Amino acid sequence: MNAAEYIKRTMNVAARECGILRSNMIYLFCMVVFPVVIIFFFTSLMNEGQPEDMPVGVVDMDNTATTRSMTRKLDAFQNTRITRHFNDIAEARAAMQRNEIYAFLYFPAGTTDKLLSMRQPKISIYYSNTSLTAGALLGKDLKIIATLGSAGVGSAQMSAKGYTEKQITAFLQPIAIDLHTIQNPWISYNIYLSTMLIPGCIMLFIFLITVYSIGTELKFGRSKEWLAAAGDNIYVAVAGKMLPQFIVFITIMLAYIWYVFGILDFPHPGGTWTMMLLGLLAVVSAQGFGIFMFGLMPSLRMSMSTCSLWAVISFSLSGAAYPVFSMSPAIEALAQLFPLRHYYMVYQICVFNGFPLPYAWFNIAAMVGFACLPVFIMRNLKRAMLKFVYIP
Amino acid sequence: MLQRINEGLHDMCHIWAEEMKNVVRDEGVLIFFVLVPLLYPILYSWIYNNEVVREVPVAVVDNSHSSMSRMFIREFDASPDTRVAYHCNSLDEAKDLVGRQAVHGVIYFPQDFQTRINRMEQSHVSVYCDMSLMLTYKAIFQTASSVAANINSKIQTSLSGNTTGREDEITIKPLDFDEIPMFNTTGGYGNFILPGVLMLIIQQTLLLGIGLSAGTAREKNKYKELIPVSRHYNGIFRIVLGKSICYFMIYSVIAAYVTLVIPRMFGFVSLVHAPDLVTFMLPYLLSCIFFGMMLSCLVRYRENVILLVVFSSILFLFLSGMSWPSSNIPGTWKAVSWLFPSTFGIQGFVSMNTAGARLGDISLQYICLWIQTVVFFIMTCAVYKFQIDRVKKLRSREQ
Repeated sequence: MNAAEYIKRTMNVAARECGILRSNMIYLFCMVVFPVVIIFFFTSLMNEGQPEDMPVGVVDMDNTATTRSMTRKLDAFQNTRITRHFNDIAEARAAMQRNEIYAFLYFPAGTTDKLLSMRQPKISIYYSNTSLTAGALLGKDLKIIATLGSAGVGSAQMSAKGYTEKQITAFLQPIAIDLHTIQNPWISYNIYLSTMLIPGCIMLFIFLITVYSIGTELKFGRSKEWLAAAGDNIYVAVAGKMLPQFIVFITIMLAYIWYVFGILDFPHPGGTWTMMLLGLLAVVSAQGFGIFMFGLMPSLRMSMSTCSLWAVISFSLSGAAYPVFSMSPAIEALAQLFPLRHYYMVYQICVFNGFPLPYAWFNIAAMVGFACLPVFIMRNLKRAMLKFVYIP
Repeated sequence: MLQRINEGLHDMCHIWAEEMKNVVRDEGVLIFFVLVPLLYPILYSWIYNNEVVREVPVAVVDNSHSSMSRMFIREFDASPDTRVAYHCNSLDEAKDLVGRQAVHGVIYFPQDFQTRINRMEQSHVSVYCDMSLMLTYKAIFQTASSVAANINSKIQTSLSGNTTGREDEITIKPLDFDEIPMFNTTGGYGNFILPGVLMLIIQQTLLLGIGLSAGTAREKNKYKELIPVSRHYNGIFRIVLGKSICYFMIYSVIAAYVTLVIPRMFGFVSLVHAPDLVTFMLPYLLSCIFFGMMLSCLVRYRENVILLVVFSSILFLFLSGMSWPSSNIPGTWKAVSWLFPSTFGIQGFVSMNTAGARLGDISLQYICLWIQTVVFFIMTCAVYKFQIDRVKKLRSREQ
């Protein structure tokens, strides 16, 4: 058999697959509709970048011009919005338990008195860590207000004594931190999370649809017909089956890349070509992994359950939210078995930070390895298609 | 009338027993009802067991080579959150290390770092953070800020020429402040995410198991319908109640394990008040069960359930307001989130578990869960009535 024969057979299987894709509505939903919904969901949910105007409360037992000015300054911050003034701490805490506010500022009685007489009053900042995002941001803002209050006193005093601006700054803050948040100067959570969550969801669909499409051949008793269309060659059969799905998935991936990096203009100093290469690697590694999973366990239900387990755990083990190097060493090793982890590493090193591809050679090799995994189970798969029976 | 109710109760118990048998016989349903709720929480808790990020490696480029820069570096290294892993000669060297993932940030001291301080001018330390991980950025920036603040206070003290220690304290900090992180005081990642994930596992496994069971019933059925052809399955309420009691029975145990045993096993914050928890879990479980039963009519083939439910897990987690604060979720998505039990379940449970809220504090979520229970119950009954009518029509057509 020559190459032309192989190609013709592959096209045959691909055409058959297109018919199957068209006939079952679930394919349309899982391959096109849901990924598009996911893309818009995450990018629109975190559209602000950083949560703005989060509700904060104030317990002001002092009620002077100074405390009111500090409250106004806190309200002026981008992340905070003063929603209520409470009568005491218990009320404010209860509101925090009801999730009405995420933090509050407490001025005890006599704060301004003590401040003016240099007796070091103490204010308190309370913030809720039930949502780490809100807690961390609001804690930072409240700390800045408290520090500014302190600096304000010193500044007023020194100004009265005749010091210049430069001298005052040099005294109040001799060492200043110049923060450079590389590639994400807005500290946008959208840029941070969406670029991992959306590809993770797309890869989840690829896993499941790959396994589903192969498994339903067995379920509906079409497996022998499938192999016959491929001339009994399992490689041709799988390649032909995966080809239409590959085209759809790569289109969705490219749509994601175009929308997120083109229209929303997320930072990608690594270049568009690198991102597209990464998208291609993601699709083939997910498909390869799906085929491998089914070949390992030729039961539709078992392999779908395992793939869904793999896909959902990937979100945590990719190490985008909680770093992998902080997990226990056994989990660190386990994380290497998940394609999304390698996707995230390549994205982070080559696309987001703009380093050349060889810096992520291990992860790229791992993704290629995932794509080549089916080779090991091809014989098992052929046997399953010819002999096995669907077990619900 | 009385006889019909009697017959209904008998049939309900029959359906209850049948459903239990189906659950136990069906491996797929068993996996989702028992194995997954047992093992997933343990797996997730193990992943986040270390809770916080410590000893983040950082590279230092010290062009100043002064005693003050060395003091800064020492104090920076001493912090539990960060660790000085490399000393580099230039920013390019340090950047290369970031590319190799050897460090997650760079601290850069310019040549005139100490000279400027000695001349009573403001001096700058540059902190470059790799923004691919927010937790490492936080660790590096917060440590740098507090080390700088510490050294600043030392410099201010030496410059002020005060007489007593108390005067020094007041000069450094005219306005003192206390920082109190409440509820999840450790700021641990596991403490933060697990309560939400635990509640979500309950809903998702229920949806998967019920859907799978419905799919199996449909496939095994002569007419590919949801309801078997049997005289026991004649009334809506007996079917709906019979099946839901079966699921409720299994899940009351699972829910107790997930909400009470797992937090204690892994040492998560667990301020939940048991009677309040039981009262809250009742409408949550019921609304999840009826939601699952209502959606099970959409399922034609068993495995379609897995495709439909799995991806929604991450959606529901975000819609509940755990990662992204619920006050900042856009209006449309907020409205969509009200359709699902997990939104209110997660919000209520997190408040109870991590913030020690009582039932009165989460009354809004509680009432919404009951409303959802009633609405989903009515819709489930409508779905099953539709199914019964179809089966009756098919049977009469056959006869």
